[in-house]
Amino acid sequence: MSGAGSGERTLELLIGPQHPASGHMRLVAEVDGDVVVRLRPDIGYVHRTVEKIAETKTYLQTIPLIERPPLADTANHNLGYVMAVERLLGVEAPPRAQWLRTLLAEMNRIHSHLYGLGIHGIMLGSSTAFMWAFGDREIMIEMAKRLTGARITYSYMIPGGVRRDLPPGFAEEMEKALRYLERRLPDYDRIFFSNPVTRARLEGVGVLTREDAIRLGVVGPNLRASGVAYDVRRARPYAAYPELDFQVVTRSEGDSMARMLVRVGEIRESIRMIRQILARMPDGPILAERYAKMIPPKWRDYVRETGRIKFPAILASLRPPKGAEAVSRVEAARGEAVFYLVSDGGPRPYRMRMVTPSLRNVVLFSHLTRGCRVADIPAIYGSLDYFPPEADR
Amino acid sequence: MGALGWILGLLLSPWVFVPLIYPGLVSAFAVLLFIIWFERKLAAKVQRRFGPYYVLRHLGGATQLVADLIRYLFAEPIIPEEADALAFVMGPALLFGLTLLPVVAIPVSGTFYAIRSDVSLLIVLALLTLGAAMTLIIGWAGNNKFSLIGGLREGFLSMAYEIPLFVAALSMAAAYGTLDLVDMVEVQAETAWGVALNPLAAFVFLVISFLATSRFPFEISEAESELVMGPFTEYSGIMYGLTMGASYLKYYVLCLLFSIMFLGGWEPVPPQLAAVPFGPGVVVFAKALALMALGVFLRAVYPRYRVDQAIRLAWHYLLPLSVASVFVSMGAAWLGLTGA
Amino acid sequence: MGGVEEVGGRGGRNPVVSLWGHLKAVGTGLKYLIAVPRMTVKYPDEVIELPDGYRGMLIYHQDLCISCGLCATICPANAIKMYLPSGGGGGEGGGEKPETPPKRHPGIDYARCIFCGFCVDICPTGALEHSKVHDAAYERVEDMLYRPEEFAAGPPTVEFERPPKRLRPVMDERRGISYEPVG
Repeated sequence: MSGAGSGERTLELLIGPQHPASGHMRLVAEVDGDVVVRLRPDIGYVHRTVEKIAETKTYLQTIPLIERPPLADTANHNLGYVMAVERLLGVEAPPRAQWLRTLLAEMNRIHSHLYGLGIHGIMLGSSTAFMWAFGDREIMIEMAKRLTGARITYSYMIPGGVRRDLPPGFAEEMEKALRYLERRLPDYDRIFFSNPVTRARLEGVGVLTREDAIRLGVVGPNLRASGVAYDVRRARPYAAYPELDFQVVTRSEGDSMARMLVRVGEIRESIRMIRQILARMPDGPILAERYAKMIPPKWRDYVRETGRIKFPAILASLRPPKGAEAVSRVEAARGEAVFYLVSDGGPRPYRMRMVTPSLRNVVLFSHLTRGCRVADIPAIYGSLDYFPPEADR
Repeated sequence: MGALGWILGLLLSPWVFVPLIYPGLVSAFAVLLFIIWFERKLAAKVQRRFGPYYVLRHLGGATQLVADLIRYLFAEPIIPEEADALAFVMGPALLFGLTLLPVVAIPVSGTFYAIRSDVSLLIVLALLTLGAAMTLIIGWAGNNKFSLIGGLREGFLSMAYEIPLFVAALSMAAAYGTLDLVDMVEVQAETAWGVALNPLAAFVFLVISFLATSRFPFEISEAESELVMGPFTEYSGIMYGLTMGASYLKYYVLCLLFSIMFLGGWEPVPPQLAAVPFGPGVVVFAKALALMALGVFLRAVYPRYRVDQAIRLAWHYLLPLSVASVFVSMGAAWLGLTGA
Repeated sequence: MGGVEEVGGRGGRNPVVSLWGHLKAVGTGLKYLIAVPRMTVKYPDEVIELPDGYRGMLIYHQDLCISCGLCATICPANAIKMYLPSGGGGGEGGGEKPETPPKRHPGIDYARCIFCGFCVDICPTGALEHSKVHDAAYERVEDMLYRPEEFAAGPPTVEFERPPKRLRPVMDERRGISYEPVG
């Protein structure tokens, strides 16, 4: 605390890492009265050397590892990593597997956006938004549980395909779930998004201009809320996205409210996409022929009947050619995720680089909070849907 | 028997009964235990949860707050090394006590009161302002930056809300032509409830009672996600319990005052209660409790405003509205609506 | 400074719009207070039935096991390790050499297991499969290690104080998930 005589008039606030709204990180805020002069995110608190650990794991073993940092958005990162591995190996997943991957990715996007909106809600003090979002996130978790057998860390996509086919009755149940979500969104709107208090807290707060957004290399909904229609699903379509009809949701305002509403819009788009996927899903195998034919013969009937893949032993020790390199980009729920893999011919990646959307958005903390109020820190933080473990990896 | 009768007589005498039993300490504690539980149940229902449940399951976890209180009592109260120990320890008790103090001037019925004064409204209002100063002291004493900011926020807010609160309350005095709360109820019994005479003043008073007691959307000085309970960051155990209870207590006092000034006080008295001297108080209590339920329900509806927005709301909107309410009162009086 | 300006913008600070917004918010709150059912499942009095194919704790059929070690090889968390029959050290062989070297069998450490199910999917004989048990609790971390013979005895049974009501989640257009009692 600066004394009266010291000539300083600012106060250094250490927000976190043990703070209800800091997440797993520390924000060092320098405040002048109620105005934030400078805010520095002190990242790295939950750094767990994912990239280095990946060098000690086989290609398949890295899949669960990749899912840990972006928790709540596991499928999209899983997809990005697997795409990179497939490029290394020169294998391609069959169409049905691509559609199933897209299905899970979009389910996961809804789940992740609800998670982010809920956290944003509690940061603003709306416990109802928090509880609702976390409750409704359960819808997508339940559906994913039926598809993959796990609630959050699905490890569903493997090099060459996916592990399981749709369980019976999935499409009908999903349709009910989607209708439910569509019924709920207007209530969210009335009690939270359009609540005059929420609007007062978010509109015009933390404005990111289009130019700054591009200059700072911001990704994901945060970028699109500043009027830049960049979405990897559209710019570099992958999986089943080329065949899906969807809008890239953008807004022009660039403030915290716009970022929140872009996410809401993306939930609606994901609902549309899931409908299309379930209606138009092609038939066929869910694992590339190269691996499918190595499944032990005694399991072929089992695989056909249950729709659950039995791994051929080769998956335990995939060896891409020496010197192969691959990059993949996916639009994860929080923005563009990039994976870069180098093979030295061994069963483990020589190098695995994982650039997560939160890592690229962390720059916004100091940029957007300059001159804002102390109470705007959580409002802006929540609107970025920043997830410290995802950034720290 | 004689001694028992004497004690009973003492307890039932207004100057003991009012501060100690109703509307004072005992009922205040009962209100706290009930309303915090009820708040949690309301919020839980809106949020599609159960809320308190396992403590006395058949009554919906009604004794949850008793369990919480016991836990607070036995939790270790930690005094930070760098804190101003005296202020830190005395703060919660003084805050709690001072917040409850205004009830001494609140009448229970036309004949049952601790203090009958022709300026009892002024006494209540004056005593109401004492708590905010304690919050400032508490914010300072903890030697925590979040507490300091929280205390200062409370200070800014109290400056912003006290004037419109007083003006709105006094506009009713203008309407009824008296500063005596007992007379106010009698005027309302003859004419109409204050909320009908001067809805503007009632609205301003109600909003300010949310603002003054950290109810949502004005839960600003505590703001868990910004200031980690603001002035009360460093408190633990029963000292924390007292600080948390104090804001509900202030809300209770303001709701009692609101029921007396705007909701006709103890009128209409049900005949069954008229015989007991403090019987009409039950009516005031019921009205106040209903009003409190409204306030705590808002937790489930609103996020919180920023402190500058709340201050702007108070100075830019509530103050002019409260001044306007004076003219509404004068108009009502001039038209002879109030009988004054 | 490029930071914050006065709040305003879309719809502006029009008091009428604002008042309507307040009314809608409070109205929605009231609607949920009165009309909308809860979503809580009262675990442990009510327990959700898990779907077929759920990746729960493992069942190990030792009679089917051919000691190939693929499960231990693929385990990303090193939860599964191959153990010699009891008496031998964990993972490492004993001192004397018997006629035929004893086979190693998998044991699992649930303190490490991440339930990815890779071991089940790669097991060539079906000696490993998932159970629907996932809510076991342990008092000591050592208890979470199952050597082959304990592993073969099956996953722990979960004991409830009162017999719980089993519920099956079914998607519902109005309630989200509605839970139907089973059995």
